[in-house]
Amino acid sequence: MASIAEVREPVLTGERITLHRVHKTYSAGEQPVLKDINLEIEPGELVSLVGPSGCGKSTMLKILAGLIDFEAGEVAIGDQQPQEGRRDVGFMLQQAVLMPWRSVRENVKLPFDIAGLKGQDVEDRVDQLIELVGLDHAVEKSPWELSGGMQQRVSLARALALDPKVMLLDEPFSALDEFKREHLGLEFTHMHEYMGKTTILVTHSIPEAVMMSDRIIALGAHPGRVVADVKVDLPRPRTAGLVGTSRFQEIAQEVREALVGEDGSIA
Amino acid sequence: MTTIDTSAQTRADEVLVPAPRPQKRSFLDSTPAKVLLPAIVLATAIGLWEISVQAGLVNPITVPAASDTFIALFEMMQTEYFWAATWLTLQETLLGFAVGSSLGLVIGALTGTFKVFRTAIWPFVVAFQNTPRVALAPVFLTWFGFGMTSKVVMAAVICFFPVVINTVAGLASVDDNARVLFRTYGASTPQTFFKLTLPTAAPISFAGIKTALTLALLGAIVGEFVGAAEGLGVLVKEFNFQLEVASGFAVVVFLAVIGLVLYGLIELLERRLITWQH
Repeated sequence: MASIAEVREPVLTGERITLHRVHKTYSAGEQPVLKDINLEIEPGELVSLVGPSGCGKSTMLKILAGLIDFEAGEVAIGDQQPQEGRRDVGFMLQQAVLMPWRSVRENVKLPFDIAGLKGQDVEDRVDQLIELVGLDHAVEKSPWELSGGMQQRVSLARALALDPKVMLLDEPFSALDEFKREHLGLEFTHMHEYMGKTTILVTHSIPEAVMMSDRIIALGAHPGRVVADVKVDLPRPRTAGLVGTSRFQEIAQEVREALVGEDGSIA
Repeated sequence: MTTIDTSAQTRADEVLVPAPRPQKRSFLDSTPAKVLLPAIVLATAIGLWEISVQAGLVNPITVPAASDTFIALFEMMQTEYFWAATWLTLQETLLGFAVGSSLGLVIGALTGTFKVFRTAIWPFVVAFQNTPRVALAPVFLTWFGFGMTSKVVMAAVICFFPVVINTVAGLASVDDNARVLFRTYGASTPQTFFKLTLPTAAPISFAGIKTALTLALLGAIVGEFVGAAEGLGVLVKEFNFQLEVASGFAVVVFLAVIGLVLYGLIELLERRLITWQH
């Protein structure tokens, strides 16, 4: 197990993620929520999962986080199966889920507490994380004193705490208003470009997916399956100005067309 | 460690937080108003009470004047029997509260944590919650006698239920997303309990404990009414029988003060223990 001193410098390559013929049904007799999913995600790649509700995009993330089981197929992060409590996997939800009895600093420290890590190394790392997400002026504040965007920054710092090689993001910006969402999304993209953690982003915003990703996986519903695998060949670092380019619009259109008729109501 | 320079960008999420506008603070929000206005109401009420008795609007045999009540209280406070009664009632209240709320915490924690307890016990909690529990006071007198025990039991039984119900509600209020988060960190069951469940449940559970303390005093007094040789409840009853209404009223006023002091103390404790409530 890597000590904090070893993981202080960012890991520049993430883990490879593979899903092979993955099958998942929630209850017998129903359409599978994931049917024969094959996916290979390269180390350091940022891949978005988009699609209507019921397409299994959140289910896929939960499987990768080791939170739920699946009936058939193989899933691997690096050379290991998904499992709860893997320190090399960071997880971020739509809600910030901060503990109101902990300050910003203490919230970021939570993963270290649970992992039983303490000492000066941990304190330094927590300081760095808070600086990284730009909250150094709010270290001792309580969660209720923060705006939605700031709360999500704390959540991001916490997800990065143990320096995971893989980041699983379940619509992390969708509870924010449009302006903040775009801004935080872009900021995360820049962190990703710097840190190179393999990242899977679940989102229902096609422009967000195009702006952030290397690849967009469009999923159809009933049963959940891959309907398109679109490469995003926009230059990095990504900038807000890319939205106006014709290439951006073409990619967005390609994803949109792949999802036509996949609004979830059509079996 | 190199950090990403984001300072050049606009911190959109902070810009959008509205700058605190100079608010027009109403006089009603100021501390003098919060002290002064209730004081005026109290003074007016006592004044009206005094005047209506002095003017003969009410029968002074059944309703004593405010001044007589306070004089009676002052005189009583010089006597030994008054303080003995106070000490006894306080003991009954606090013992009943300690027993009732600790049992409530244990049963509430078991009910809120284990489904088997929930299924087995919850219907009875609801049934008893809706039973007027003071009706049990004569039963407890028969079972536990004229002394302190029957009052302690009455107080405990009354204050047990709000603690159970609030503890169960508190434990049920843990956010599912937070549970998911703790699972992704591989938190153990004790870690999840102490770092998530307990702090989440504490404020709600404590609200039940606050109610319980007030109810314990009520239970002790009811117990004394039904049958006791000593205590503040006995004094209220006796003074009224002897038509010493001023003294009876005085004890009630004193009981109100005790209730307030107990509530103040438990609120102080709450602020110490649960600092994240706002």
